[in-house]
Amino acid sequence: MNPGRRRVSAPMLLLLPALVVLTLFLLVPYLNIFVMSFRMPGQGVPYAEGWTFGNYGKFFSDWFFIGQLVNTLWIGAVTTLACLLIGYPVALQLARGSERLRALRYGIVLTPLLVGIVIRSYGWTIILGNNGIINRTLTGWGLIDGPLPLMYNGLGIIIALTHVLLPFMILPVMSAIQGIDPAVELAARSLGAGRSTVFRRVTLPLSLPGVQSGCILVFILSVSAYVTPALIGGLRVKTVAVSVVDALIDSFQWPFGSALALILSVVGGVCVLAFARMTRMRWAVRR
Amino acid sequence: MKARRGDLAFSLYCWLVYAFLLAPIFIVVLASFNSGAFLTFPPKGFSFRWYVVFFDNEVFRRAIVTSLWVAAIATVISGCIGTAAAIYHVCYAGRAKEAVRLTMLAPLLLPEVLTAIALLFFVYSVGIGTRGMVGLVVGHVLLTLPFVFMNVSASLESFDPDWDLAARSLGAGRVMRFRRIMLPMIKPGVIGGCLFAFIISFDTFTMSFLLKSVGTSTLPIQLFDYLKTNFTPEAAAVSSFSVGLTMLVVVFTEKVLGLKIRRF
Repeated sequence: MNPGRRRVSAPMLLLLPALVVLTLFLLVPYLNIFVMSFRMPGQGVPYAEGWTFGNYGKFFSDWFFIGQLVNTLWIGAVTTLACLLIGYPVALQLARGSERLRALRYGIVLTPLLVGIVIRSYGWTIILGNNGIINRTLTGWGLIDGPLPLMYNGLGIIIALTHVLLPFMILPVMSAIQGIDPAVELAARSLGAGRSTVFRRVTLPLSLPGVQSGCILVFILSVSAYVTPALIGGLRVKTVAVSVVDALIDSFQWPFGSALALILSVVGGVCVLAFARMTRMRWAVRR
Repeated sequence: MKARRGDLAFSLYCWLVYAFLLAPIFIVVLASFNSGAFLTFPPKGFSFRWYVVFFDNEVFRRAIVTSLWVAAIATVISGCIGTAAAIYHVCYAGRAKEAVRLTMLAPLLLPEVLTAIALLFFVYSVGIGTRGMVGLVVGHVLLTLPFVFMNVSASLESFDPDWDLAARSLGAGRVMRFRRIMLPMIKPGVIGGCLFAFIISFDTFTMSFLLKSVGTSTLPIQLFDYLKTNFTPEAAAVSSFSVGLTMLVVVFTEKVLGLKIRRF
């Protein structure tokens, strides 16, 4: 027995299983995708022998794919903005508002996270579909003649994504506001600032790190979302993530699908970095 | 007076957002009690008819059993390795603390669809394929691991290494120290994390969709398939059952065990 050695290695054993799982089933598979994107496309088989840059060339020489990428980023940007505008007041209310029913309200904010994505999308189909509640009601009142196109387009995807991702905006903003010392706000009040001035000059600027991490989170999640665009977007509007799965599962083009996935990740990452640079703040790490 | 009216408008706005958050779930539950043959609003009378149809449907019953099995296995594995990693993170990681945290949260920060695809290629290239449940379970372990880790880490926040030293100086052995100091501290975190892991695994779609073997399907996949061709309120009954199960778990955790589920 060597007690010295045991003391060093025993704690490491705690981390080891998780590390092995993450390396073997996360790191290696991701490297594998990277390698796969340089493989030759195959006929009837997922990929053929040899190496090529052609999969990337195929993307950048086709306006269809570039348009799809721009559309995906656009949907992500609008969803992020919508989440911010809708979510900020709720975050403010949860952090600073009255205590009444706070647990309930907090629970409601968390519900989209606890209910499966298929069920949520199904709910939206019932509400937004051509035969859905909104269209039926409006037709019934004689306000419109035909159904409004609320689903199977970008608008439907944005509505459903905003719903799913709101908690990811509300929670970081809420904790940022909770982190502001109330004394700072009180001091501003005692110096004669009105409530709106205090919000504009004190609370809002101090909550910006939370806004930043919320925006980054929502943007990443909406750009890479698969199920919501696949179910709500239908066949007409496709985001890149939907095309990736199509390329891999339906048409069995593993190398091209991998290249597509990597392009989406890199472009999304560049957007996030540009945003972080623009807002010129430290990276606020999510807690 | 002006401020009062502003407060009211603000509060109203927030409640509208809460209504928006609940709308699709509320609608699905409402639709499930429809007694008519089709989804209509307002529903035609109240009945449990579609629940009966659903429970008689063997396809859905099998899917529920599969979902419960996968979730249970994934939760046990994640629970063990996630808890161990969290203890290491809080007590022994030292300067590598932030690196350990980011590594453990990686599956949460990477897009689920990409992780699922990467894993799919991987199981094929090492020859496991999607015949058994191995790929599916591994995918669910990856998804749920961060939640166990976060919950257990959070429960250890107030842990003081001096307690361990004190117990040691009083002659407590390794096992005794773990049982009497560590275990009571992490217990709420482990239970909360595991319950959350179970819910996540039970509800997830993308990972299961890409990694399932031919012929087996979990409840979300079965529901997805069903919705492609059918429009009866049976799907709403299935959904409501699933939502109800989740809520039951959450309420049980919060009220009976008095724990707080942390997602962040």
